[in-house]
Amino acid sequence: MAYHSPYRAPPHINAPPDQGFLWNIFQRVDKDRSGVISDSELQQALSNGTWTPFNPVTVRSIISMFDRENKGGVNFNEFAGVWKYITDWQNIFRTYDRDNSGFIDKNELKQALTGFGEQQSYRLSDQFYGTLIDKFDRQRKGQVAFDDFIQCCIVLQRLTDVFRRYDTDQDGWIQVSYEQYLSMVFNIV
Amino acid sequence: MSFHYGQGYPGGGNVPRGAPYGGAGAPYGAPPSAPYGAPAGPAGGHYGGYGAPGQGGHYGHGPGGAPGGPYGGYGGQPHGGPGGYHAPAASIPPGVNPEAYQWFQSVDTDHSGFINLKELKQALVNSNWSAFNDETCLMMINMFDKTRSGRIDLFGFSALWDFMQRWRALFQQYDRDRSGTISGAELHQALAQMGYNLSPQFSETLVQRFSFRGGRPGIQLDRFIQVCTQLQSMTQVFRERDTNMSGNVRLSYEDFLAGAITRLM
Repeated sequence: MAYHSPYRAPPHINAPPDQGFLWNIFQRVDKDRSGVISDSELQQALSNGTWTPFNPVTVRSIISMFDRENKGGVNFNEFAGVWKYITDWQNIFRTYDRDNSGFIDKNELKQALTGFGEQQSYRLSDQFYGTLIDKFDRQRKGQVAFDDFIQCCIVLQRLTDVFRRYDTDQDGWIQVSYEQYLSMVFNIV
Repeated sequence: MSFHYGQGYPGGGNVPRGAPYGGAGAPYGAPPSAPYGAPAGPAGGHYGGYGAPGQGGHYGHGPGGAPGGPYGGYGGQPHGGPGGYHAPAASIPPGVNPEAYQWFQSVDTDHSGFINLKELKQALVNSNWSAFNDETCLMMINMFDKTRSGRIDLFGFSALWDFMQRWRALFQQYDRDRSGTISGAELHQALAQMGYNLSPQFSETLVQRFSFRGGRPGIQLDRFIQVCTQLQSMTQVFRERDTNMSGNVRLSYEDFLAGAITRLM
């Protein structure tokens, strides 16, 4: 049975950008012309829409997701995945950032995260969404910017994936030993 | 009665609930005066060796180890042992370590009175001269930034300095072959001495995951600090839920998420 992980950016409606377009972007982002985009190169190229530097942890998370050889960056082929990943999240973010402020608040976050069709036993309380805002809101505005939103979703996705591996009967509860528990949470360290 | 992790809990006095990185009372979580500082053998009893290393007061060299050695330590750090600095005492606020004070001045490159992530990252290096990774720097900023502004003031920095010195001493102590990195076996031994009852595979997995890219397997100081600190914090989360000390917990989805999200640093 194939799970649909609720926090994964859904396959999107955008037509894939053509290779020439991507190649142009890649070359502009790859400032040292090494053929690999590093964390700092990607960070400089990304904007969270608020004039503050893009969350370096989000950048690291995204790069490590697509960096197959653990080389500390992404080559052109991998960059296509990065590009698509970010634009997919951007579309979702824009959908829920109704006032175009560059931030989404607790209710918008809840809508964004439950909009992907969650099963009943994986529902979360309002209080929990408050916890998420509190944790991921780097700018201390009581709302999350785009980069922090992505990071929040990545963390939720990883934790949900590992939880599901243990929740074999899908009732929303697991029983784990101390070492199992540590192994689970170290997935997001 | 036997437990799956260690022989039992510590008496309870030294590890307050809700202080994931802290000892009781002390600001910034000064470590409890725990038994695992002494390298004599495994400290019995703890399944989470809360902590931060026990030896306070030693700066710069590990217990029993030669000072110096192959460790890069801190870039930009003023050298000279205790007593070797001559900053006017009047300018150093009470409670601030004088060495930390001096170091703060050189690390705070924009003279803002605060250290941000970028400045901290530039100031810390591993024994192979690689910069500290973002995650560890960020974790430490979060730990010592009481205002949650994403940067640390002089007082927070002084506490961070002590924290770093203690971990560095432990790192040197557990790097038995003086290779500059902690291997899987060395990490397992370190965790056992800190009181954690975890399998060798657990340490091995962590080391493989956090080894420096392109180098031989082994973790650098930054990852060692990160792994040990997170382990301490997450052990505490587990402990709070394992009320009958069975070594197993039943967790709901939301409780699992909230525990990891709020307490990982």
